[in-house]
Amino acid sequence: MNQINGAIYEIHHMDMLSSRDQWVNRVHPLVKLVLTVVYISTVVSFQKYDVAGTAGMLVYPMAVFLLAELSFADSLKRLRIVLPLVCFVGILNPFLDKHYVLIDGIRVNGGILSMVTLILKGVFSVLASYLLIATTSVEKLCCALRMLHVPKAVVTQFMLTYRYVTVLLEEVNRITQAYMLRAPHQKGIHFRAWGPLAGQLLLRSVDRANEVYESMLLRGYQGEYQYMRERIGFVRQDLAYLLFWLGVFAVFRMWPVILVVGGLFS
Amino acid sequence: MSHIHIDVEQVSFGYEKGKEILGQISLHASERDSIGIIGANGVGKSTFLKLLVGLNLDFSGSIRIEEIPVEKRTLAQIRSKIGYVFQDSDSQLFMNTAYEDIAFAPRNYGLPEQEVDRRVEEALRMTGISHLKEKQIYKMSGGEKKLVSIATILSMTPDIILMDEPSIALDPRNRRNLIRILNSFEHLKIIASHDLDLVLDTCERTVLMADGRIVKDGPTDVILTDRELLEENGLELPLCLQGRTGKAE
Repeated sequence: MNQINGAIYEIHHMDMLSSRDQWVNRVHPLVKLVLTVVYISTVVSFQKYDVAGTAGMLVYPMAVFLLAELSFADSLKRLRIVLPLVCFVGILNPFLDKHYVLIDGIRVNGGILSMVTLILKGVFSVLASYLLIATTSVEKLCCALRMLHVPKAVVTQFMLTYRYVTVLLEEVNRITQAYMLRAPHQKGIHFRAWGPLAGQLLLRSVDRANEVYESMLLRGYQGEYQYMRERIGFVRQDLAYLLFWLGVFAVFRMWPVILVVGGLFS
Repeated sequence: MSHIHIDVEQVSFGYEKGKEILGQISLHASERDSIGIIGANGVGKSTFLKLLVGLNLDFSGSIRIEEIPVEKRTLAQIRSKIGYVFQDSDSQLFMNTAYEDIAFAPRNYGLPEQEVDRRVEEALRMTGISHLKEKQIYKMSGGEKKLVSIATILSMTPDIILMDEPSIALDPRNRRNLIRILNSFEHLKIIASHDLDLVLDTCERTVLMADGRIVKDGPTDVILTDRELLEENGLELPLCLQGRTGKAE
């Protein structure tokens, strides 16, 4: 599978994950969106040397992975491009941050602690975002955004961009395949062909995107998925799920739960 | 006059000024008409169909669908009456699964979920693709996509069906299935196609176009058996009427 086919497959795979009939997938999208935003805000709010507190926040992604029956290994594979970047962000901290922190009477380099915290914060935030889109379709997410009164133009732009990404990738695939079949000894596309190929790609993508939009218009689409709101009613379990996790985040933010639990066994 | 009808009067259209793609088209179609629009490549068949659903509004002349003029303010009303099948199924299908795509229109028209489900099941049954209900669109073959495209408009229970090259990408069995579906649709249908055999099997009336104009409008069995007329306009007799001589001439 070439890279473009791989990217198309990944997008379809995410669509497939979000359309499964799992319990977490059925939770109201607004609840999941709010929880994700609150979770990320909570994670990034920990002190830079508070490794134990930050690590405790792993509880949310772990629980959602289990509830949604998602493969953790698969997710890491999917996030393989983003995660090294996230880890790289904190790599200079041990050299820049020369403070020392006392933990149980042991002097630890603050730079290392802040690097670990930063990596944990980045990884947890990426995981939470991944879990949101793996359990919620783009249409439902857009519906949740509209409920939060995000302007219709912004939401429509977001939704159609997502729909058109595959259209664009498919066009790239066709063009590059047609090129490679007639240029068998070239490793890539010759720079002289870049201009015409990019122009062709743009024109074809615009045409295809236009046709997709026309097809939506002909079937009653008027700017947003009106029906979504009726289909995804807010039920008592949604409220319970929201309150439960908000409580958990508050507890983990205010008390070092990991240290307390660890203390029980020591 | 019957309730379902289309009136096209002196319609001309071009994407650029001075370059007319359609010129002085007039056509009346009533409730139970089945019309095949035929013509060589680039004569304006698809453009004509797009004008009927208001995808291009810069035309001169008048188009009325059930007495409603095709103009910007009436588009929603008109489009709720017409099912349009695109030439390229990939342009028509944009949701994840067949079910989601077929349910798209009924949901947009605000039908309750129970009715949406009933319509989707019915459309799947009519097209003979109930087994594809939960299949993801990107995993489908060209023929499967075409049948799902047709089901997406059947779920709208339209008064009028417009199809642009519906038999493209279909194997013989699915093509026969398509002919059965088209013949079971009792209201007005207009099919633009190069597949003259399909037109012969599904349409009682044929409109022959050339250079953006209607050259001939009449019974299918008269027009499609007129070899001279067809060849003058860049077409040939339907394959079933060409006879078999063993080797190609």
